[in-house]
Amino acid sequence: MAIDLRDVCFAYPGAPETSILNIKQWTVAGNEHIFVHGASGSGKSTLLNLLSGILSSSGGEVAVLGQRLDKMNAYQRDRFRANHIGYVFQQFNLIPYLGAVDNIQIASQFSKQKKSARLSADIENLLSRLNISRADWHKPSAKLSIGQQQRVAIARALINQPELLIADEPTSALDQPNSDNFMSLLMSLAKEHDITLLFVSHDMSLSRYFDRVDALSEINQSEASSPCL
Amino acid sequence: MFVKLAVKSLLNRKGSALLTLLAMSVSIFVLLGVEHIRTQSKDSFANTVSGVDLIVGARTSSLNLLLYSVFRVGSPSNNISWQSFQAIAANPKVAWAIPISLGDSHKGYRVLGTTADYFQHFSYGKQHKLRFAQGQAFEQVFDVVLGAEVAHQLGYHLGDKLVLAHGIATTSFALHDDKPFQVVGILAPTVTPVDQTVHVSLAGIEAIHKNWQQGGATPSPSSITAGMVGLKSRMATFAVQREINNYRQEPLLAILPGVALSELWQMMGLLENTLRLISVLVLVAALLGLSAMLLASIREREREIQLLRVIGAPPWFLFLLIELEAVLISSLSIVCGATLLYLSLISLGDVLTLQFGLHVSANIFSIHSVYLLLLVILATLIAAAIPSLQAYRNRFNN
Ligand SMILES: Nc1ncnc2c1ncn2[C@@H]1O[C@H](COP(=O)(O)OP(=O)(O)OP(=O)(O)O)[C@@H](O)[C@H]1O
Ligand SMILES: [Mg+2]
Repeated sequence: MAIDLRDVCFAYPGAPETSILNIKQWTVAGNEHIFVHGASGSGKSTLLNLLSGILSSSGGEVAVLGQRLDKMNAYQRDRFRANHIGYVFQQFNLIPYLGAVDNIQIASQFSKQKKSARLSADIENLLSRLNISRADWHKPSAKLSIGQQQRVAIARALINQPELLIADEPTSALDQPNSDNFMSLLMSLAKEHDITLLFVSHDMSLSRYFDRVDALSEINQSEASSPCL
Repeated sequence: MFVKLAVKSLLNRKGSALLTLLAMSVSIFVLLGVEHIRTQSKDSFANTVSGVDLIVGARTSSLNLLLYSVFRVGSPSNNISWQSFQAIAANPKVAWAIPISLGDSHKGYRVLGTTADYFQHFSYGKQHKLRFAQGQAFEQVFDVVLGAEVAHQLGYHLGDKLVLAHGIATTSFALHDDKPFQVVGILAPTVTPVDQTVHVSLAGIEAIHKNWQQGGATPSPSSITAGMVGLKSRMATFAVQREINNYRQEPLLAILPGVALSELWQMMGLLENTLRLISVLVLVAALLGLSAMLLASIREREREIQLLRVIGAPPWFLFLLIELEAVLISSLSIVCGATLLYLSLISLGDVLTLQFGLHVSANIFSIHSVYLLLLVILATLIAAAIPSLQAYRNRFNN
């Protein structure tokens, strides 16, 4: 099981009276490519942050890749995220003044994965595979187009060979051709690397790329202004 | 990669980083400069006279006696009689005694009347004897030996003739035009007041005053300003000092130059500490500026910091990253500030010497300054702890 949530409740510490998420049970099998849709503000990003250990649940069991995040401390969750999870955001995926290669290298810095001589070869393969031309490898990433930046973000997310890849509306800043291009690259790379892919968006048109489609509103039983018990 | 990230992040904020660097460089310049000049002047101070066990003069404060006999500053209130000086010189515990007669000047430089023994016994620094760069000690009444700076500044060479004036002002009306002295020796530089002194024999001094014509009998002086005394045994110092201080015929004062020098230096301690305080405050201001700059940068870089956290950077990595940026700026400032100080000392060294009588070497690196710079780095780490903690604590709040 790649993801297994039981009785998970979450409220932001700043607003403990309002639970954002309340999930009785939700599971995702290994190597599944799952699309979760929900309206803006429905708690999609919050769910992803719980799964990657950026946020910790107020109660319940959060098991990711067979490990209980709710039993880990902040430091262990950081290490777990670095070693096992790749993350692609809607925007601001890259440190703007570093080039593509440096951005990817920094991500590999924090994981215990190989830091061998193969690293730069791996980076080069990924970047070529993602159609980033060699001339753009060392430009400050702020100078790349948004489409290029999002593709570099995939490479950044994949460099540590994660078992789980989380994508939080990664195409919402892209135009249609760029979005299609991004999606097909993402899907084929996820397949090649045998990765569980969890993709959230409010854009239902993207659901056609996935074998499984869930609505957050069905997973999440949280009712407005009810605290976690 | 860690260092690269810090460097590139600073380069990405060139404007504010550069201004902070500038402020830090100036403060390092001030700090190192004050410390350097302070230690140098203290050294050259303590080095003005050595090998002299006692200085004897008319009864006055020991500081006053030191100032006029060694530094040629101020004027003696009273002279001591030649008889008294002879009596001291005859003391069996005394190895040698050099008379000193002051009160005249040549183009602003003090004239010192003494005997040829002066060149043999007077020493400075770590027992350095006076050395002749050219020529030798005076023999005739109208022979004169110049300090290194006098010769250099006034452009005198061996054999040149000059006129010595009564009184100490540059434009003395009582110019003794009819007394042409001749340069017979020029001393090597000592970095002490000796460099600024014109040396003549006691007879020469008498000649200036009594209108003696060359070739007349050598007069013996009736009084001198002070005397420098060397003892056969250091152990006798206090005994001889007491004997002189209790001398019946005339109220005399004997001082230990080392003790008097350190007393004088202590009096300047207030000025010294004020200067240090100011330089430390300048550094504190620059460090606060650095801290403020970094704190503002963390606001700007909130997303960047969160991104680093998401890709697995532990909080302490962010703490160290900000600290490293601070240390990079302050190390670079140290290089800039020290270089600036070095260049200014090289180019302004002559001005300092001329205007303030301060001889400052351009070698600013000593154990002391290395400690000082390590302290600066430590202070940087402390000042940068505030923004670093801010980065450390940065929570995810999208
Ligand atoms: N740091 C925070 N503190 C308190 N409440 C928050 C915080 N972040 C988000 N929320 C609230 O949690 C709810 C869910 O937010 P979340 O960002 O998960 O939504 P989302 O589904 O990702 O929306 P979008 O599609 O706009 O990205 C929102 O009502 C939001 O106001
Ligand atoms: Mg969101």
